[in-house]
Amino acid sequence: MSIIELSEVRKTYPLGKTEVQAVKGVSFRIERGDFISIAGPSGSGKTTILNMIGLVDRPSGGEVLIEGKPTSKLGDRELTTLRHETLGFIFQSFNLIPVLNVRENVEFPLLLGAKRQPRKEAAEWVDFLIEEVGLSDWKGHRSNELSGGQRQRVAIARALVTKPKIVLADEPTANLDSATGEQIIELMKKINRDLETTFIFSTHDAKIVDIADHVVRLRDGLVTENFRRERAGAEA
Amino acid sequence: MQTAMLAFRNLSRQKRRSFLLGGAIAFGIMIVTLIDGFAGAFVDNVSENFSNLLAGHVFVEGVEKSPKGRDLEIIRDDAALREAAEAAGIEAKYVSRRSGLQGSLKFAGRTATLAVQGVDFEAETFLAERLALASGSLDDLPRDGIVLPEPIADKLGVEIGDRLLVTTRTYSGQQNVGEFAVAAVIKDPGILGSVSAYAGRDYVNELLDLAPDEYQALSFYLPSLKGMDEAGDRLHAEVSSRLQAFERKAPGAEGGNPVLAMMRGEDEETWTGVKYRVTTLNDALAQVQQIVDVLDVASLVILLVLFLIIMVGITNTFRIIMYERIREIGTMRAVGMQRGQVRGLFLYEALFLALGGAVAGLAVASLVMLGVGLIDFGLDSPLFLILRNGHMSFRLDWARVAGKVAIVAFLTLAAAFFPARSAAKLDPAVALRTAV
Repeated sequence: MSIIELSEVRKTYPLGKTEVQAVKGVSFRIERGDFISIAGPSGSGKTTILNMIGLVDRPSGGEVLIEGKPTSKLGDRELTTLRHETLGFIFQSFNLIPVLNVRENVEFPLLLGAKRQPRKEAAEWVDFLIEEVGLSDWKGHRSNELSGGQRQRVAIARALVTKPKIVLADEPTANLDSATGEQIIELMKKINRDLETTFIFSTHDAKIVDIADHVVRLRDGLVTENFRRERAGAEA
Repeated sequence: MQTAMLAFRNLSRQKRRSFLLGGAIAFGIMIVTLIDGFAGAFVDNVSENFSNLLAGHVFVEGVEKSPKGRDLEIIRDDAALREAAEAAGIEAKYVSRRSGLQGSLKFAGRTATLAVQGVDFEAETFLAERLALASGSLDDLPRDGIVLPEPIADKLGVEIGDRLLVTTRTYSGQQNVGEFAVAAVIKDPGILGSVSAYAGRDYVNELLDLAPDEYQALSFYLPSLKGMDEAGDRLHAEVSSRLQAFERKAPGAEGGNPVLAMMRGEDEETWTGVKYRVTTLNDALAQVQQIVDVLDVASLVILLVLFLIIMVGITNTFRIIMYERIREIGTMRAVGMQRGQVRGLFLYEALFLALGGAVAGLAVASLVMLGVGLIDFGLDSPLFLILRNGHMSFRLDWARVAGKVAIVAFLTLAAAFFPARSAAKLDPAVALRTAV
């Protein structure tokens, strides 16, 4: 069973008295442990698809299935719980909470859910993630004291703290210089290998697309290419 | 807990804005606390000052009808009243038996009209302690000696030892003339005290045509203001069982002055012999309580009006906060924050603002009360009735303060509720793509 399946997903936005079709019937599958790039130029529908996979936006038609479970009929509470338990998010602008320090930002999602980990175990996990992203010396610093690369590392640790099966990253390197961007992608790739977390990221950077083992290309709200690498070259 | 901590820290983001909002709440709380503090002490101070002026808290007066139907003030049954007071368990700090005349004092072509209290200086030792002498002495007071307040002595131009002519009426209304010798002059005791003089009761009785063992008012000065009405009720029951007595509270007393209502009733009634009236300071000052009730209502109205204005500010500010943090709300919703938690975040922030403002307002009000309380307005101040020993005093009922803080917290939460609800209802995708 695919971890994510999109079936004839459409998304229409109202624009004044007319409507804009951002996604026009997209179908593809994502397998567990994929490191998948959703690529395409601006306005191709990358972020919209990512938002629908991430359950922060609802499709106008079609279905998004997470671990085989349809999501279109779920209420806000169930969607929020599913997001919290299954998904992690990394944003282009990092989106850290400015009044919290590095450690608190990473820990934040852990404190939102109904199920709580034992305190000691949770603390060890938070510290492990901060170490993994190389910010052990910055735990007490707030986001305004960090560089862009450091902020994105915090965002990665935050996305992983609930041990999600899927991490969604919307243009994670767009606000970073190329060297830092590569480091961030390398870090995501390492976590993908080590923790077998499925990574789905949108980008229009060709170099980053080359690192992905599954690529979905979009243009004008439609899939133009969908292929895998390193998995015997099989088409998805 | 995380939500509360986050809300608390959010207050420090825009310090100036938090300070202004909290300051507005603090100002409102300060104003109502000052009014409450003033109103709380108002009754106590007025009662205390009146009890000093009237020399007691529980009073017994005797009234008999003249052949022409006039009410004549006289107490003839001292022994029975003593027994009644003992049986009622009245534990008085001081007991005074006084007569009083209203007369015109004349000296060297000058005239002053005033009330002269006939007191037993030997029994009323507390009076000597309370009167601030400007000249003369209360020791070895001559039988016709008079103690004049300074303004009256100045008006008449008299000095110690001068003799004054007094024209007055006896208790039954006959004209009478006598003489007083100025024995002492006391410092201006304020509005009511300045038109009252003191003289020996025996001589005042003589001018009133009362026997030496008769008098007009029996007063009990209790150790505290508390329990005076109960003491009055007990004494009334004992007096009623021994002597003729008026009803404790005359019909029509509710909402008005019970003493005046009682006196109106006496005019319509007929009886023979002396009939006794038992009253308390609270009866006499019933209208003071009405003033306090008005102050209480005013305090609540001010609180509500101020907070309606402040609420508009809070609602608008929280709307601005919502738009400023819209992407943050989107992020928090994306990572798993439920709508209720977003709403809670805003409401916690409002609650902390209200509580912080309330604490600051109470602190400032306390400092103001302390500062104002240090000002000496003097015993001759026109405000003397509401002062305590010449100083403004305040008394706060902490349950009432807590109630006002609760109202403020509720109103602040109500003001923040709609922006909080809007924030909670934000579509996460819309919030995340909104550029701020």
